[in-house]
Amino acid sequence: MGADRISGGIKVNKISRNTFKGLALAAVATLALTGCAPAKVVPSLDYKACAVSDEGSWNDKSFNESVMDGIKKSKAELGVKTADAESNSSEEFKPNLQAMVDAKCDVIFAVGFNLVAPVNEAAKANPDMNFVTIDGWSEGNANLKAVNYAMSESSYLAGYLAAAYSKTHVVGTYGGMNIPAVTAFMDGYYYGAKAFEKATGTATTVLGWDPAKKTGDFMGDFTPNSGVSKTIAANQVKGGADVLFPVAGDQFGAASEAIKEAGVDGVMIGVDKDIAKTSPQYADMVLTSVEKRMTNAVYDIVKAAAVDKKPYADYLGNLANGGTALSGFGAFDSKISQETKDALKALQAGIIDGSINPLQ
Amino acid sequence: MSEDNKLLKEIMSGSPLRITLSVLLGFIIGSIFMAVFNENVVATYASFFSSPGTTFQVAGQTIVDGYVALFNGSIINLSADNPVSMFRPITETLRLAAPLIMAGLGVALGFRVGLFNVGGTGQLIMGLLGATWISTRFDLPWGLHMVVALIVAIIFAGATGGLVGFLKAKTGAHEVIVTIMLNYVAIDLFTFFLRTPSLLLEHGGGGNPKSDPPALTAQFPRLLGDSFGLNIGIILAIVAAVVYWWLMERSTIGYRFRMVGHNANAARAAGISVERTYVWAMAASAAFIGLAAANQGLSATSGLTSSIHANIGFDAITVALLGGSRARGVVVAGLVFGAFKAGSPTMQILGVSPEVLGIVQALIVLFIAAPPLIRAIFRLPKAEVK
Repeated sequence: MGADRISGGIKVNKISRNTFKGLALAAVATLALTGCAPAKVVPSLDYKACAVSDEGSWNDKSFNESVMDGIKKSKAELGVKTADAESNSSEEFKPNLQAMVDAKCDVIFAVGFNLVAPVNEAAKANPDMNFVTIDGWSEGNANLKAVNYAMSESSYLAGYLAAAYSKTHVVGTYGGMNIPAVTAFMDGYYYGAKAFEKATGTATTVLGWDPAKKTGDFMGDFTPNSGVSKTIAANQVKGGADVLFPVAGDQFGAASEAIKEAGVDGVMIGVDKDIAKTSPQYADMVLTSVEKRMTNAVYDIVKAAAVDKKPYADYLGNLANGGTALSGFGAFDSKISQETKDALKALQAGIIDGSINPLQ
Repeated sequence: MSEDNKLLKEIMSGSPLRITLSVLLGFIIGSIFMAVFNENVVATYASFFSSPGTTFQVAGQTIVDGYVALFNGSIINLSADNPVSMFRPITETLRLAAPLIMAGLGVALGFRVGLFNVGGTGQLIMGLLGATWISTRFDLPWGLHMVVALIVAIIFAGATGGLVGFLKAKTGAHEVIVTIMLNYVAIDLFTFFLRTPSLLLEHGGGGNPKSDPPALTAQFPRLLGDSFGLNIGIILAIVAAVVYWWLMERSTIGYRFRMVGHNANAARAAGISVERTYVWAMAASAAFIGLAAANQGLSATSGLTSSIHANIGFDAITVALLGGSRARGVVVAGLVFGAFKAGSPTMQILGVSPEVLGIVQALIVLFIAAPPLIRAIFRLPKAEVK
C-alpha cells in the first residue's frame, strides 16, 4: 500500500519508459519540482477517504456540502488522505466512482439517492473495497453501508413549534420536488402541527402539503431562491401563513423577501444546517432549523474505520443519536414560551422511546 | 443575413493553423486557471515575496500533474497495476466521445445549411423520451428491441427538429429562438413523463422522477466484456460520420443543403425550394442528435433521470465548431472532448476543479468562433473568404 501512495516517483519512472517524449520531459520536471515542494505539517494516516457528489457542486449549502465538510474535517483532524469528484450529470456517476476505485480509496462515499444504482454496481464489481451511500440503500452488497435519516422526527418537533409560535395559526411548507427525501420533512412538519392542534384544541392549518393525498406546493427543481420559490412563499403568506418551512436547500432569500414584501411578522424554519449560523443575514427571521447532521456522520464513519479500526456499519440518524435535531432558537429564545419548550422536550422523549409516531 | 453567413463561413473555413493555435491558447489559459487557484499553490502566496520561486515551482508542478492526470484518465493509466485499469481510460474516451460525435454531426449539418441548431438538448431529450418509452414499456426480442428503440429515438428527435424547420420556413421564426424555447418544453415534458406512473416512472421505486432501466433486450451490447463500459455506440458514431460525409459531399440532397447554406438567394434562383430545404435540414440535423439520444438512453444500465442528456446538445456545438463541420473533423473533435470528459475525474482527484476543463473547452471555441481575435493575437494575415 505504501509504495503506490508515492505517486510522484512511480509516475515518473513509468512515464520515462514510455515513448511519449513530451510527457517524459514534463514528468522529469515534476521530479525536479517535487524536491522543492514545501513540507506539510499535518499528521498523516495511511487511510484515504473519498467522496463522489450527487448532481450539483460541493458548495450547494446543502447535503453535498455537508458531506464534503465531513471529508474536510476528517482530513484536518485525523490526517487522513482525501479525494473527491463532483458529478455534473447522472452520466458522470459511474466514471467518478471508477476513478475513486482506481485511486485505491479505503472508503468511497456516494452522496444522494441518485447514486444508488451506480454505487451498488461499483460495490458488486469491487467486493474488496468499502462503499457508503448517503440517503441510499444496499441491494444486497455487504461492502456497501447506508447512511439514512429519520427526518420526520425532527420535522415533527419543528411543526409543533411552528404551530405554537404562529399567531395566525396557519403554517406553510413547500418542497423542491415531490420526492421522498423532501416529503419526509413535510410529513413530520404536518403531523407535528396537527399534534399541537390536538394538544391545545387550537385549530391549525398547514399549507403546502397534504400527507394523505401526497400533494402540495413544489418548485419542480432545487434552484436556490428562484422566482417560483418566492411566488409559492408569497402565496402561502397571503393565505395567512406566518411560519414558512421551505424544503429545497437554500430558499431563505426568496422566502424572507416574500414575508418582508407582504409586511407581515413572519419567520422561517431552516433545513439541513443551522441556517441562523450558516446564513447570519437571515438570523432575525429563522425560528429554528431542522438539522441533518451529515458532517458528523461522515466524520464518525471515517474515524471509526481509520482510527478505531472498526468494521463499517449502517447508520440511521435520528433524534436518539443526535443525527438529526432542532437547532437552538437563537434570537427567538425569549419569544418561545416555557410551556412550548417543555412540550417539545416531552415530544422528543416520546419519539425517542417510541410512544409517539411522527408519521401520525 | 449575408453578414451572418460571411462570419459563419469564416468560422467554418478555419485553417488547421488557426484551430491548432486556438487549442494551444485554450490550454495555456486553462493552465493558468489550474495553477492560480490550486490549494497547494494558494498556500505559497503568503511567502510569495520572500520566495517567489516556490510559488512558480509548485504552480508548474500542479500544471504538469494536472495534464499527466488527464493523460492517465483518458488514454492509458500508467500507474495502474492490472491491464483492465490500465486500458480502461481509452475505452472510456471512446464511450464518451460517441454521443458527442453523433450530436456534433447533427449541429455541423445545420451549420453547413446556414442554420444554428442550439436545440440539441431539446431534440436529444425528445429522442430519449422515445427511446426510453420503447426500451422500458415494450417486450421485443433481443436486438430488434434495440433497433426499434433507436429508430424511434431518431424519429422523435428528427420530428422535433423538423418542427423548427417548418416554423422557420412558414413563418420566418428564427431557429435559434425556437430551438432554445423547445429545450425547455422538452425537458419539462420528459420530467412530466418520468414522474407519471402510467408513462415512464419506474415500477416499485421511491417515487423519484426516474425511469426503469432499459430492458436487457434493448441495451447496447458491450464490445469488450463487462469490465469495460465501451459499447457499440462508438461504432454507430463512426457509421454516422460516414453517412454524414456521403450525405453532405456526395448526395443530391446534400448538394441542395450546401447551396442553401452558401447563398440562399442564389439557391432559390436556381430553383431550389429553400423553405423545404430548411425543414429537411433541421430534421436531418436533429436525427443525428436523436442517434446520440439513443446512445444515452440505451447504454444506461440503471434508470434514467432527465440529467442523462449530460449537456451533450450544447457540447455538440463546440464539437461541430472545432471540427469545422466536416465529418473527419467532427470525429476528431468528439474524441478530444470525450477525452476531456474521461480525464475529468482523475484530474479532480488531484484537486483540479472540473470547471477548468470546461474553461479550456469554452476558450477553444471562443477563439475558433472569433477569427479576428486569434488573428490579432498571433498576427496572422486576414483569411480570404471564398
